[in-house]
Amino acid sequence: MTALRARPAASPSTGPAKRRTGAPLPLALPLLVVVAGLLVWPMGTLAIRSFVGDDGGFTIQRYADVLTSARYLRSFAVTSVLAVISTLLALLLCIPAAVYLERAGTRFARTVAVAMTIPLSLPGIVIGFFVILVFGTTGVVPVAIQQMTGSRALQIAYTFSGLLLGYLYFNIPRVVLVIRGAVAGTSVEAIDAARTLGASPLRVYWSVVLPSLRPAIASATALSLATAFGAFGTAATLSRGYRVVPLDIAAAFTERFQPELAATLSLLLAIVTTTVLVGIGRLGEGKHR
Amino acid sequence: MSTNILEPDATPLEQGDVVAVAATAAPNDPILRIGRWLAAVTALICLAPIPLVLAVATTRVWQQGFWAGGFTLEWLANGWQRIAPNFAFSLRIAVLVLIIDLLIGLPAAWLIARRRFPGRRALQALSTVPIAIPGIALALGLILAYPTWKAGGWLLIAGHVLYTLPFMLGALTPTLGRRDLIELEAVAATLGASFPARLLTVTLPQIRTSLLAATIMVVTLSLGEFNVSFFLYTVMDTPLPVELYSGYITMRLEVAAATTVWFLALVVPAAIALERLGGAKVGQA
Repeated sequence: MTALRARPAASPSTGPAKRRTGAPLPLALPLLVVVAGLLVWPMGTLAIRSFVGDDGGFTIQRYADVLTSARYLRSFAVTSVLAVISTLLALLLCIPAAVYLERAGTRFARTVAVAMTIPLSLPGIVIGFFVILVFGTTGVVPVAIQQMTGSRALQIAYTFSGLLLGYLYFNIPRVVLVIRGAVAGTSVEAIDAARTLGASPLRVYWSVVLPSLRPAIASATALSLATAFGAFGTAATLSRGYRVVPLDIAAAFTERFQPELAATLSLLLAIVTTTVLVGIGRLGEGKHR
Repeated sequence: MSTNILEPDATPLEQGDVVAVAATAAPNDPILRIGRWLAAVTALICLAPIPLVLAVATTRVWQQGFWAGGFTLEWLANGWQRIAPNFAFSLRIAVLVLIIDLLIGLPAAWLIARRRFPGRRALQALSTVPIAIPGIALALGLILAYPTWKAGGWLLIAGHVLYTLPFMLGALTPTLGRRDLIELEAVAATLGASFPARLLTVTLPQIRTSLLAATIMVVTLSLGEFNVSFFLYTVMDTPLPVELYSGYITMRLEVAAATTVWFLALVVPAAIALERLGGAKVGQA
C-alpha cells in the first residue's frame, strides 16, 4: 500500500453515506436502460396494442369482446377460484405450522422448515409434473390403488382438484416464508398469558395470534394470490380441461396468432391482480384490535 | 417455552417417523401440537414427490407398479441423453444472464444502498416486478416491442435478465447498506486505500455471502425459467424447462420422471445451499 494519505473520517467521500444526496448517476444508468427498454417500453407497447384497432384507430372493442365472452369470463372465474381456494388452504396449513416452526426451535422444526422451502426453487412445470406423477392416469396413487383393489382410482391430475393441488404446492412455501418472518417478531408472552388465563387454543388463535399476525397474513395472501393469478407452467402441464387466463394468453398468441387479443387479456389479468393486491394491502393496514 | 423440553430433538424426515413423533410425544400446549402436526403434513406434501420421481424413473415398467420388471438405470441414461444439449444451452444462457445481472446490479445496488436520489424508491419497487407482472405478460411485451430480436436468442436473454435482476438487487442492496461495512470502507479510505483497492479488498470480500446467494439464485432461476422463455425461445435452441415440458406432454412417465430427476439433482442442492446462506427466493410458478 502507498504511504498514508490520512483523511479525516468524516470527509465527504467516507462520511455517513445515507446523508449524501448527490448521486453518481452513471452507476444507475445500466439499470435505468434495462428498466426503460425491457420493462416500461414493452409493457407500454402491450397496452397500446390492445387499444389499437385493425384500422389503426383507437378501440375498446377487444375489451368489450373479452368481457362478454363466456369462454374468457369462465377462465377468469376458474383462475380466481383456484387462486382463492389454494390461498385459503395454504393459510390454513401454514399459519399454525409457521407458529410452531418459529417457536419450537428443535432440530425437527429446522428440518421441516428447510423441506417447506423446496417448492420455491421448482418451476411451475415441474410442480405440474409432480401432480401428474402422483395422480395422473398412471400416477403413483392410482397404480398403488390398482395393486391393492384391482382397479385404478383417484386419477385426478387433469381435474380441478389436480390443478388445486399444484397451486397449493407452490403457495405453501410462500405463505410459510412470510408468516414465519412475522411470528419471529410477535409477543410470545401474550400467547402464554392467554393460555395461562385459561383461553382455549381456538380462542388464543382468534384473539391473540391472528390479530398480531394480521399484516403478515395480508402480505402472504397477496403474494399467494398474485403468484396463483400469474401461474403459467403448472397450468400448462395440467391443462387438459380447465382453462386459466395465462393459458388463454398463450393460446391467443401462439395458436390464434392474435397478439392484440393476448395483450388485452394480459392487461385485464394485470388489472385484476393489481386490484386484489391493493385491496388486500388496505385490509392489512387496517386498524389493529 | 417449557414445552420444548418435551420435544424429541433428532428426527429424520421419514413418513412413519413424523407421524410417530407427533402421536407419542405430544406436548401440553395444543397450539404447538396442532402446529407440529400441520408442519409435518405440509413438509410431507412438499417432499413426497421427490422420492416418488426417483422410484418411477428407476422402474422398468411403471404401469405395473413399483419396480415392476426390475430396477433399471436405463431411463435415467436415456433422460440424460435427451436433455443434455438443452442443459448445456440453458447453462450458457444462465451464465450470460448472471454476468449481465452482476454488471448492472452491483453498481445499481451500491447506489440504492448508499445514496439518496430522486427515483430511488421507484428503483426499489422494481423488486416486486417478477411477482406483480405474470411472466407470460413480460414475455409478450418483449416480443411485441422487439419482434426482430427473437432470432438471435437475445430476447430470451433479455427476458431472463428482466426476471432475475430484481432478485440480484434484492440480495445485494441490504448487504451493501450495512453500517459496519460502510465504516470498514471508511477506515480503509482513511488508511489511504484507493477506490479499486477498497472494492477488491474490503467491499467484495465483505459481501461474498450475499454475492454467492445471488449467484445461486440467478443461475437456478434462469435454469428453471419457463413462463418467460415459452414465448421467447427459438426452435434451434430449446431451453431445459421447455424440453422438460414437451417431455411431460408427449413422453411416457418413466422418461419424464428421469429427465426431472436430473433437473432436481441440479436445483434441490442449490435450494438447500441457498437456505443455509439465509436467502430464500420467491419466483413465479
